[in-house]
Amino acid sequence: MEGIAAAALGIALGGSGLWTLVRRRNVIWKLLGLNVAAGGAILFLVAVAHRPGARPAIEGLGSGPAADPLPQALVLTAIVIHFATLALALVYVIFLTEHRHTQDVHKLEREPEEP
Amino acid sequence: MNVALTGVLTYLALGVVGLLGRGRLCAALAILAGLAALAAWAPGFPERVMGGLPWGVPVAGDTLALAFWALILFVHAAVLWHERHRTGAFHPLLTLLMGTCLGTVFSRDLFNLYVALELASLLSFLLAGYEGKARAVWASLQYLVLATVGMTLYLFGLGLVYGKLGTLSISEIAVRSPDLSDPALAVGVGLLLAGAAVKGGLFLFGLWLPPAHGYAPTGVSAVLSGVVVKMGAVALARLSEAFPVGPVLVALGILTGFGGLLYALWEQDIKVFLAFHTVSQLGYLLIGFGLGGPAALGAILYAVAHGLFKGLLFLAAGTGIEGMGVRSIPALAGHLSLPVVLGLGVGTWAIVGLPPLAGFAAKGALAAGVPSAAKWVLFALGVGTAASFSKLIPLLRPAGRQGGLGGMGLLMGAVVGFGLWGLAEFSGLMTPGAWGEAFLGAGAGYVLYLAVRRFHPRLPRFTLDRAAVATLLGAVGLALGVLLA
Repeated sequence: MEGIAAAALGIALGGSGLWTLVRRRNVIWKLLGLNVAAGGAILFLVAVAHRPGARPAIEGLGSGPAADPLPQALVLTAIVIHFATLALALVYVIFLTEHRHTQDVHKLEREPEEP
Repeated sequence: MNVALTGVLTYLALGVVGLLGRGRLCAALAILAGLAALAAWAPGFPERVMGGLPWGVPVAGDTLALAFWALILFVHAAVLWHERHRTGAFHPLLTLLMGTCLGTVFSRDLFNLYVALELASLLSFLLAGYEGKARAVWASLQYLVLATVGMTLYLFGLGLVYGKLGTLSISEIAVRSPDLSDPALAVGVGLLLAGAAVKGGLFLFGLWLPPAHGYAPTGVSAVLSGVVVKMGAVALARLSEAFPVGPVLVALGILTGFGGLLYALWEQDIKVFLAFHTVSQLGYLLIGFGLGGPAALGAILYAVAHGLFKGLLFLAAGTGIEGMGVRSIPALAGHLSLPVVLGLGVGTWAIVGLPPLAGFAAKGALAAGVPSAAKWVLFALGVGTAASFSKLIPLLRPAGRQGGLGGMGLLMGAVVGFGLWGLAEFSGLMTPGAWGEAFLGAGAGYVLYLAVRRFHPRLPRFTLDRAAVATLLGAVGLALGVLLA
């Protein structure tokens, strides 16, 4: 039951994050939406591997069948990647704010004149 | 430890060492190490699981990997030579990016592919905005946002597939011959395809590609269009090995081919025009990978040929823009120096598919492996390519001899050499029919160009929001397509 709830929460986070990404005009808001969506995907990945009653996948902790360790290892990698991507995106936003004096995508999309 | 993976690790290590200093020397050493590794593992190695655990990462060196290694090392060498004046982090980042691509082509694990694609994108964002021009940085940020949307979809798909099948190994999934009439699995596969399609810059998924490739520094455009977008195509090819999604890839290929052409036909900014053409030429690859068998081999050859001549075209166009300070095709006409004109001329001759250059050999090999209905689609794509490249004819009038060929010479040699090798290898290409068809297509393209150049249709511009919505709708479409196919 927790597995299904967590998976549903993951999908809800993904949907709301992507909705924010599409609807907001401010780049920072867009990146926040993207981050929430990525968090949803990560939660979903953990949730689908959930087995009711399984013990943590650590040697010597509890008895009985262990949880599937693979998705947990995968999401660690995914979290690091999303962290790096978000950090770089924010650096670019800082750059654009300094050079174009706006964070509004509609204004950013008007082409500046430069070769 | 496998010699091929040692080659990849050496490449990456030299990229990191280069960040401390002597970036160009490290890049050159990396290319040499890559060549040595390629010579050691060619012509291939069977699948093996790295790590030894039951959850290890399967890798294999097949024809696809072999061809891409040759392409990557060649394009890297040409760009290193062409951009040899650049200092700082440029060459180390490029080395890291190429090393990542070298590793990507071995991967036969869905999650490992995700990591490799993300690493390649992260380095591409850095390089695309490297010169610190506001327009390139904005293009790079758009690229970053859309690529992350794609990879979020990919992760959701990965979760669904893993939940249903309990494995991420491509070969193991293929053995189980998954049943795609199961809605959850079909949606998962659709999302995986959508994520890879975003990375591959396919039409409606990869609308970040034209500005990002168009405004990036010269050598970076060549590498992004020549090599990095193909990694998305590689991921799609791997997915089609695991799941029976051939027809979906063919449909996607047709959409991409003609969608890219539609935009390329009237585009006047030379580098954005070339970038839209990268989108359209990816259509050939997907049609080939989707049909499989001999067509897949043709698609691999076309990927290599396209990497070489599109790299050449981007180097030539970028050099011309740097010399003139303007970007539009009419403004450049009659002002380009001889080396640039040579580069553009050879590249155009090759991409249009005229003998005896690489485009003719690769398109011929691809056409020989597809059923007759698909041949017509490929012919129509070829006519469209010729029509849009006819725009470049006024540029082919040199205005002086200043400047050298740089890395363009290397790629020109490769385009010619590949073409001659293809003529010797495929007997069907030395027939009057094949040559006649190639020139007929080019001629028809020129006539089409004369017919359409008077029109100036207002095609919808793709803003970030529209591109994101297009990606999400495309993902829904793909999931439905997988379910119904």
